[in-house]
Parts: sequence; structure tokens; C-alpha cells
Amino acid sequence: MTAAAPGARARRSPLLPMLAVAVVAVLLYLPLMVWANYGPAARSLASGADLGCPTALACATQLRNPVLPSPGQLAGGFGALSLPPTSPLSAPYNAVVTGGETLLGLALAVVVGLGLAVLLVASRSFERSTLPWLVASQTVPIVAIAPMLAVLLGQYGVQGFLPKAIIAAFIAFFPIAVGMSRGLRSPDALQLDLMHTYSASAGQTFRLLRFPASLPYLFTALKVAATAALVGSIVAEISTISFSGLGKMLAENSRASDTIALWIIMVYGAVLGVALVGLIGLIERVATPWKART
Amino acid sequence: MTLLSASQPPLTAEPPAPPIVSVQNLQMVFQVPGGQTVALQDANLNIQKGEFISLIGPSGCGKTTLLRLLADLVQPTGGQILIGGQSPATARQNRQYGYVFQAPALMEWRSVLANVMLPLEVMNVPGDRRARAREMLNLVGLSKFERNYPWQLSGGMQQRVSIARALAFDPPLLFMDEPFGALDEITREHLNLELLRLWRETGKTVIFVTHSIPEAVFLSTRVVVMTARPGKIEGIVDVDLPQPRSDDTRESPRFFEIATEIRELLKKGHA
Repeated sequence: MTAAAPGARARRSPLLPMLAVAVVAVLLYLPLMVWANYGPAARSLASGADLGCPTALACATQLRNPVLPSPGQLAGGFGALSLPPTSPLSAPYNAVVTGGETLLGLALAVVVGLGLAVLLVASRSFERSTLPWLVASQTVPIVAIAPMLAVLLGQYGVQGFLPKAIIAAFIAFFPIAVGMSRGLRSPDALQLDLMHTYSASAGQTFRLLRFPASLPYLFTALKVAATAALVGSIVAEISTISFSGLGKMLAENSRASDTIALWIIMVYGAVLGVALVGLIGLIERVATPWKART
Repeated sequence: MTLLSASQPPLTAEPPAPPIVSVQNLQMVFQVPGGQTVALQDANLNIQKGEFISLIGPSGCGKTTLLRLLADLVQPTGGQILIGGQSPATARQNRQYGYVFQAPALMEWRSVLANVMLPLEVMNVPGDRRARAREMLNLVGLSKFERNYPWQLSGGMQQRVSIARALAFDPPLLFMDEPFGALDEITREHLNLELLRLWRETGKTVIFVTHSIPEAVFLSTRVVVMTARPGKIEGIVDVDLPQPRSDDTRESPRFFEIATEIRELLKKGHA
């Protein structure tokens, strides 16, 4: 009659394997970078352009608009784009704007997704009549719907930050609604019978059984929704009139063919995505402490 | 009580006190694709306060259905059930029974203590719920584990938590649906002893579904033998083994006699 050792949480740090992957990526990246830039460099040299370097191989790491930037170029561009971080032109500032839009969008998506999930679970006929429309809403390309939504919202004086958040919410609510409705249905028949033997009301069954049972599903859905919302807010920034955000920076630099800046903005976007998912993971650990086994 | 044998109709030898559970001409027919399944046919049974009744039979004999009918988890297609003179639905609302399922069915997000407190919360039972839940955990010998989550306990311990939970609101009746069916033989025999101790200490009336003959004989004051297709009560066997029972009970000649009697009844239904 002994219990399993409670809370055996010998978690190994993911840092070392992550570093190993990074080293492998860099090792693979260097030859790929030289190979990708060699052609353009050779053509430029052949056309008589003065690149300030003797051979195509040497020029491969210092083209102005490289196909793949060299590590040195990335480092230089990173400094130029990141400093000072409070400047409205810097990548960190714009990443915070995009991150804010994404978080607000996620919050909206949680409210809408939860409400929909409750309705989907409560009524089969609601599910049958609504689910196809929800699926259809997700097949519409966000690039097409974003400018239209922005115009529509603009007519009601909703501008700037909020339309992007709403567009982010538009694609983030779906995984939350689907995940939550699955979670709300996850209690097994015995648990539902048990609540019946207590003569529990529908509200009590929801609060004490269905909702807590659905939390792990909610967090899984939130991680999917967070990355979708991030893509949504960036696409919204690109395809509507924007004065800040990573999407606006991407649009500007792609018009200027500044590949180095584009690469760095992409890295910022990726880091933002990892940070968002990490944040959700953190909240998950606090909100579902019984899931301590990993 | 020993006058009652399997060949007699079950109603004739009941003592005059009003039964706590009365089942009359109970019938349960399930509609299935292409016809009907008679899960229970013409079942009659009276249970006195303080008895330990086992329902035994092969799968499909309607023993679980009978328990679910008593608990108002399904509605009968015919006949009548009275629990303390009330309909099953009223008895349920008046917290007349605690139900222990085949699986522990614990809420995995609640600590052991919070699981035992669950019915008290749902029923809005006044008083110190925490103290009451602790008392129940003490009764099943799991005081040390109140802070643990269910997954940190063994299967047998989880089922003890679910028994503590069923007793938390002090119902006069305890319904148990093969509660130890998924456990190994050693744990099961240990929990059988524990259950008998609980039964003696709390004075509950227990209705216990099982498909193990030794378990039924060891635990019960009477064993209701059921047979399948259609599900019906084949006979009721009095278990006159002395109380309190112990591991020695399992070795007594009378134990084997009664087990044989039950086995014969089960065979008769099979023929």
C-alpha cells in the first residue's frame, strides 16, 4: 500500500538539445549560404560591377541584397534594426505592437471560442447548423478578408490596433472552439452518472466537471491558436494600412528588397511566436497543477 | 432468515419490518436496432435495513441494470421500485444512496480530499465539509494521502477514495457496481475485509454487484443469483456464515456449501 512517489519531477533542461540543434543548423547554413550567393556574386562580377571583393567566393558573404545573408551581415543588420529598442522604427518596438495585437486577438478568440464551444456542446442542432459555417469561415483566405474587415471596421471608426486584433481573433477562435467543445465532452459516462446521482444541476456539472476536464484541451488549443493569431495579426498588418508592427516592417523592407532586414524581422516574428507559446505553457502549468507528471 | 431457500419465492419469508428497498415485477426492455433486449424480467426483491446484498450472475443478466434502476440512472419499462417508501428519483434527491462505480471515476484535477468533498459541495451540505471528508478518508485508511492527486494512488487506493466519497454525505444505502472487478486478487481480498469492517462500523445497507462467487459469499448476508437472456432473478441464497467474518471464513466448509449452492443456481439458469 504505497503510493507512487508524488511529484517525481526530474525535468531535464531543454537548453542543451536546443543548442545542439542550433549548432547543426549553423553548420548546414554556412555552405548553403555560400552556394546560394555564389551565382549572383559571380554574375555581378562578370558584369563588371565593383563589389569591393576579388572573387565570387569572397563576395558571397557580402552582397548588398544576398539571397541568404551571412552571419556577419545578420549581426550587423540585427544591431541596426534593434537599436534603440524604443524607437518606432526598431524591430523590438514593432514586435511588441504585433505581440499586443496578437494577445488582444487571442483574448477575443477565447471569449468567442468558449461561448461557441458551450453552445456546440449544449445543442446538437446548433452544432449541425453552425459548424459548417465555422469551417467555411476558416477556408476564406485571411489575405482576402483582412482588408475588407479593415474597411468595414474603419467605417465605424475602429482603426489602428483593434482591427488587427479582430482579424487575429478571426482565425484564432476556431481551434479554441473545436478544442474546447472536445474538452467539454471529455468527461466519461461514469463521471456524468456520478453527478447525476448527486442530483447536480447542469450548471454544477459544467462548473465542477465539464469545465475543469476541458482545461488541458483549452491549453493545447491555445497554443495552436496563438501561432495562428500571430500569423493573423502580421498578415493583417501587411494587407491593411498600418503604421507599426512586424507586418508593416516586412511590407516596407520587401518593397526595398532588403533581404537582410526581412530575415531579421522573420527571426523576431519566430521569437515572438515561441515566447507566446511559452507564456501559454507557463499559464498552463499554474492552471493545471494536477498535470505535474511530464 | 435461513428458512429462505432458493426454491421458495423470495417474498414469503421476509420479516414484517418495512423493507428499505422494495422491487416489484420490475421489467427493463431496451430498444435495440432490429428488436428488443429484455435486460430484466419480472424481478422481485425486498431488502431490509442493514443487509449486505450481492447481485451475482453472468454478464448480460441485468445485475448492473438493476442497480442503475435503483439509482434512477435509467427508468424501468415496467414494475415498481420503492426506496425507503420513495420513488428512485425522490430517493436520489433526498440523498438516500451513495454509488460506487466499476471504475473510481475520480476527478483527476482534484486532490484526494477535494474528491471526497465533491458531493458535499454539490449538495451544499452545511458544516465543516473538510473535517467530514477527512473523517471519511480516515475510515478507509487514506488519511496520509489527502493532498495527493488520484494518479499518484494505486487502483485499489483510488477505489477506496471513491468509497469514502460515496459515504461522505452519510446516505443509508450504498450501491456498489463491481467496485473491485478491475483489481488483482490479493488487493480484492484485502478490500473485501475492509468493506466488511466499514459495513459493520457504519450500519449501511449495501447492494453489491459482482461476478465472483467467493466474493459474494464472503461479503453478503444474502446473495441474489441472476441469469441471462432474459435477465431474471433465479433465486436468493441466505449466507448464514457467522459475523464478523475473517480470512478463516473462506476456509470453512459452510463457505463452500453456499458457494456450491450458488453455482448450481447459476448452472440451472444456463441450461
